[in-house]
Amino acid sequence: MSGGWRAGARAIAGALAAESLKLRRTLALRMCLVTPAVVVVLCVLQFGLTKTPLGGADPQAAWRAFAGASFALWAFLMMPLFVTLEAALLAGLEHGERQWKHLLALPVPRVVHYLAKWAALIALLFATALAFTALIAAGGWVLMQVRPDAGLAGWPPWWWLLRCCLAMVVAALLMATIQLWVAIRWSSFTVAVAAGMTATVAGFMIGQSRFGHWYPWTLPVQLFTRGREHVDFAMAASVLGAAMVLGLSLWDFARREVE
Amino acid sequence: MNAIETASLAKLFPGGHGVHALDLTVPAGAIYGFLGPNGAGKTTTIRLLLSLLRPDAGTVRIFGEPLTAHRRGALAHVGALVESPSLYGHLSGRENVEVTRRLVAAPQGRVDAALRLVDLVGDADRLVRTYSLGMRQRLALALALLAEPRLLILDEPSNGLDPAGILELRSLLRRLVAERGITVFVSSHLLAEVEQIATHLGVIDRGRLLFQGTVEQLRRRAPARLLVGCDDVARALELLRAAGERATVDLGGTVVVALAERSGAEINRLLVEHGVGVGRLALDEASLESLFLALTRGEALAA
Repeated sequence: MSGGWRAGARAIAGALAAESLKLRRTLALRMCLVTPAVVVVLCVLQFGLTKTPLGGADPQAAWRAFAGASFALWAFLMMPLFVTLEAALLAGLEHGERQWKHLLALPVPRVVHYLAKWAALIALLFATALAFTALIAAGGWVLMQVRPDAGLAGWPPWWWLLRCCLAMVVAALLMATIQLWVAIRWSSFTVAVAAGMTATVAGFMIGQSRFGHWYPWTLPVQLFTRGREHVDFAMAASVLGAAMVLGLSLWDFARREVE
Repeated sequence: MNAIETASLAKLFPGGHGVHALDLTVPAGAIYGFLGPNGAGKTTTIRLLLSLLRPDAGTVRIFGEPLTAHRRGALAHVGALVESPSLYGHLSGRENVEVTRRLVAAPQGRVDAALRLVDLVGDADRLVRTYSLGMRQRLALALALLAEPRLLILDEPSNGLDPAGILELRSLLRRLVAERGITVFVSSHLLAEVEQIATHLGVIDRGRLLFQGTVEQLRRRAPARLLVGCDDVARALELLRAAGERATVDLGGTVVVALAERSGAEINRLLVEHGVGVGRLALDEASLESLFLALTRGEALAA
């Protein structure tokens, strides 16, 4: 590894360590637990208070039905809004007291700050995926207690749950990368949130159209609504799109002036 | 060696404001007071010196190293506080310093050293949102000093500080220069804030550098004036002007003579020998404040 690469790697490691410290006591961190918890609670209430059937006599099918309902709500609505909020909150940490003028006057390459911020957002999404997996299992256990006739029994399909949660994060990479660019590019929290909400609501219509395959805000939900071959497409489109948007964002950020 | 050297540095914003052809020279070890009224271009200049803005033209060198958007290595020598402190209110003072330490990869021990320097060790574990404005300003200084910079750039650092805080800041800056030999570049719109500590001054207005040099050089640009109270103002003016002196009358009827070749005693003798009774003679040395005001109002000073 050449000296330049080593210095770059050290700078990124330092920036990531700084980002992790900045997250202490933040709403962004708490929301990683709160948001998936809201989805699971709603699904527990939905199945606990009604007689909605949960997959017949097969306990694993019941688990999948319960988790599927949680995934649908998460991927369709809550995840796009969550990504919007997290991106706005992370960017807001630097916009709040105009920290950019301090950060960008440090002898650290500008793109390092942006990459660390992007990595922090993606890390929060993966942490939320893990929390979501555990919360679905906990929600299923609660449902077993309050509604024994629902058909849930035994251990949840851990690997399947985890795989679905992680796949949704991969499919959300493009949306998250775009949202972060918006949130960092414009210092207004309102602009970032309004952009994300508009894109999410637009996804209700665009997702069903022929452009739905490509729409970043509906890629996660497409994992569950289309065929198996589309799962690979949605994840690949998200990863490649995120790489492209990240590249453009870094170029834009490196040229940005701090007034 | 100069700590800061700019050549023809320019940055214009829509509407025409900005800075024009700035040739700043800040000698190493100096306390350079960068003065100008609000909106004169001080903050724009500082942002150019920190590579926060891209210049339209010109160059910046920090300790001889060029500073550009792609060559930012020179910033390793610089600690800066631009306008209001940029702090994370949800973190403690120590955590705020730690964030910057991780970014610049400074040794762990520097966190406490920087906090000690600004006398914040006792409050380091309190959340910054509970800090007073003065404490926030000191913490921002700790961030600037963390990596032991050779050059400290401060933009209006005493904004919002009470008189005691301003005194503390001055004494800290003096100490830093005396003990560590660092160069301080401090901007202000108030001469009184920097004249007690500055060794060098730069005066900027409407984006143009009007004066740069030592405090003594600035004083020399405005000669002392002799105030003469006499019984025949018209005759006195006629005599003085005929003798080549620059004499005027103020609203109170006092003759004001800009001292150049002749001393006060010689002017007195000239008037008395020609029958003008002199009742009062007073020397009025120009204050730096008046020189600063004269410069920024566009009044001509001696070269």
